[in-house]
Amino acid sequence: MSSRMGGLMLALVFLFLIGPFLIIIAAGMSAGETLAFPPQGLSLRWFWAVFEVESFRASFVLSIGLAVGATLLALVLGVPVAYALARYPLPGGEAMSTLLTSPVIVPAIIVGLALLRYVVIPLDLGIIPALFVAHTALLVPYAVRVVSASLANLRSDIEEAAVLLGANRLQAFFLTVLPNIRNGILAAFILGFVTSFNQVPVSLFLTGPGVSTLPIQMLWYMEFTYDPSIAALSALLALMSMAIVLVAERFLGLSRYV
Amino acid sequence: MRRAALTSVLALAFGAAAPAAAEPTLVLSAYGISQDAFKKILYEPFEAQCGCELVVEIGNSAERLAKLEARKDNPNVDVVVFADFNALEAARKDLIQPLDPSKLSNLDKLYDVARDPVGDNMAVGYTLYSTSIVYRTDKITDMGSWKDLWRPELENRVAFPNITTTQGPLALYMAERAWTEGQPSQGLETAIAKVAEIKDDVVTFYERSSQIVQLFQQEEIWAAPMGRFAWGNIMKLQMPLGWLLPAEGQTGGLNVASIVKGTEQADLAHQLIDMWLSTEVQTALAEALVDSPVNREVELSGSVAQLMTFGPEQVESLRLVPPEQLLENREAWLETWNAKVAQ
Amino acid sequence: MFTSRTTGLMLVLPAVVFITVGFLAPVLILLAQSLRLEDGWGIGNYLAFMNDGLGREVFWRTIKLAALVTLAAAVIGYVAAWAIVETRPERRGVLVGMVILPLMISPVARTYAWLVILGRTGFLNVLITNLGLSEEPLRLLFTETAVFIGLLQLFLPLMIISLVSALENLPRDVVPAAQTLGAGWIATFFKVILPLTREGLVIGGTLVFTGSVTAYITPAVLGGSKVLMLETLLYQRVSVANDFASASVIAAILMVTTLAANRLLRRLATPRRR
Repeated sequence: MSSRMGGLMLALVFLFLIGPFLIIIAAGMSAGETLAFPPQGLSLRWFWAVFEVESFRASFVLSIGLAVGATLLALVLGVPVAYALARYPLPGGEAMSTLLTSPVIVPAIIVGLALLRYVVIPLDLGIIPALFVAHTALLVPYAVRVVSASLANLRSDIEEAAVLLGANRLQAFFLTVLPNIRNGILAAFILGFVTSFNQVPVSLFLTGPGVSTLPIQMLWYMEFTYDPSIAALSALLALMSMAIVLVAERFLGLSRYV
Repeated sequence: MRRAALTSVLALAFGAAAPAAAEPTLVLSAYGISQDAFKKILYEPFEAQCGCELVVEIGNSAERLAKLEARKDNPNVDVVVFADFNALEAARKDLIQPLDPSKLSNLDKLYDVARDPVGDNMAVGYTLYSTSIVYRTDKITDMGSWKDLWRPELENRVAFPNITTTQGPLALYMAERAWTEGQPSQGLETAIAKVAEIKDDVVTFYERSSQIVQLFQQEEIWAAPMGRFAWGNIMKLQMPLGWLLPAEGQTGGLNVASIVKGTEQADLAHQLIDMWLSTEVQTALAEALVDSPVNREVELSGSVAQLMTFGPEQVESLRLVPPEQLLENREAWLETWNAKVAQ
Repeated sequence: MFTSRTTGLMLVLPAVVFITVGFLAPVLILLAQSLRLEDGWGIGNYLAFMNDGLGREVFWRTIKLAALVTLAAAVIGYVAAWAIVETRPERRGVLVGMVILPLMISPVARTYAWLVILGRTGFLNVLITNLGLSEEPLRLLFTETAVFIGLLQLFLPLMIISLVSALENLPRDVVPAAQTLGAGWIATFFKVILPLTREGLVIGGTLVFTGSVTAYITPAVLGGSKVLMLETLLYQRVSVANDFASASVIAAILMVTTLAANRLLRRLATPRRR
């Protein structure tokens, strides 16, 4: 294959992968009342209109809080696991890692349904704690995997040195290991945040009166409105993701962890 | 210890989102259509009056009924609005409790059909609407019958309500009347078979009436059976769309409000329903082209009255399907539909 | 130094307890419910599902669409990954970043974009009618084609990334070597490149296939009630019909399908030695 041919193919693939977002951004900038492409005149009014919708604001706050909270807890649970896997002999290692990665394998819609049916309703647990548990469980495997990847390059003799110099094990971890895997943890945080923020199937059944995540709210809103506001919101979310990816790629090399 | 830690993390993460305990909260489960108008005309005035917070959960009637059933022992909804046959089903499944007529000051102003539509004061009607066919007047002319949905010009340009919606059985009922020359069978076999014939040419079987507006707007469809309550939204499209008065007549439905069994807010629930039935709210909802009134005292200007299902004569003329008949046959219709249309 | 089993256990314990209680237990109960009958236990619910024409059709449609998406992703993925690997290393990072970018964007936004593109007044139809390829705009929404396109765009990046790392590990001289020996492009691909990158293909294929089987938004928005897939059928059974028996059966089928795909593809990745 000649490289010019390859370049052309690649351009087509990127047109397919990224082109739709350009169209969405353009459609969101329409000045008209209804969704259309090409847009009828240019205006940013629908971008502002998005912020006026109360249900978007409320669900945005919930989604952000959920993504941050669940990712943090997943890291609190997952970092020790990654550390243990890298440093300690574990009994039943195979079974253990199957168990810990199971949230990735189980279709997410089942998790939401199971929690609703067997935890939320019988125990009268609120929707928000259930969302929190489900999202955290889903993110633990990511946290373990990404942090493990950055631990793999870290030699264990630095902790030994710290201990020889008089630190206890915990101090040794915080003083020598943690600073060295900081980028891995940040990468895991970003991946976890994005995964939780965009998650739909888990949250599909875990909604209640007045409680819903942003993507679910968008799915609803799509059916009830015909103006370009959803296009504008989609464009805003796409731009937000692009910013996150660019910054993360620049400083962390995010693509190594995906 | 773990539990305490978890709780504190939860509190940290969601402290801000936790509802303030000061005001009582009333939860309403409603259709998703025209929520902006409801907010202005009903929800906000109600909140101002009751000193409470009104939370609204939206969805189509079947979805919301299923949620009520799933949460039967632990309800999180106080007032529910849906179709009359949904209320009958909910009553039989023991999901709703009787209304107290003495707490509904506007009850006497309603048409008879709306006062106690499913018996035992389990529900009260708040709107009556006609169901017919909306079509693009610039694309198809001389529409006159329910049978015209099957015309070749509409191939790939027609949507039909799914059987699981409220409109689905109603549209099938009228199609059955049309195709059997007024001799409908109990099982609606003819109508379902007719839909099956064109199922590949039907753009989609819609699940919520709100979808219809989008389908017309994007020119996916030129015709679809629809309830009058979506007409206001259809008009906003400013497209050449007409409401058919078919030779076989229009059918229609009654939407009702009920109080969920086991609610702790029965008083507030009655207050909300009573306000909904008031002449003022009923008039405002009609003028916003949202819901046709069931309150006899409502007076509408000629142009608005024309757009709504309005007045005793029109109400009389609708070929309504009794809720018992709908409820008792629905299972069988669903089975026939799944075997012939859904596959 | 790192010999204490107890310390290791203590480190993993919180995560294990959390996953077991908050995730695994409810899921297992749900799956077990699929065997629950009105009187006792058995596979009656499964038989009912498989005897129901709709259930069978939805199952096979899901498998078919997921397989087609995986196949298309593999073909396009090899071409794209090869082109990426051919570029200079400093540009490669940017290109891989561009492939990853769509993965980070809300799938709701990604699916909505196709609604705008594939609609009767959408971008594609405007293009088609203006170019004179068709008199009438085509019906694209609510078809299997629309779902296929949406899924492919959603999951293609996963395949490309897997194949890029597989191709990067391919020894630089094998392709020229094969061609010197007289092999054409097709022979080179099937005899040399494919066997050496099989693992990457299988990883990518597993991700794309299971992703397609368990996608919800794409079939819900672009397919609707006419193009039901397992996830949308599951949602319908729970939320419209409150039919929990068949919902738990669909949940179990989804679970088994993804597990089986994982297993099968992993076996393909590690060929038995002769």
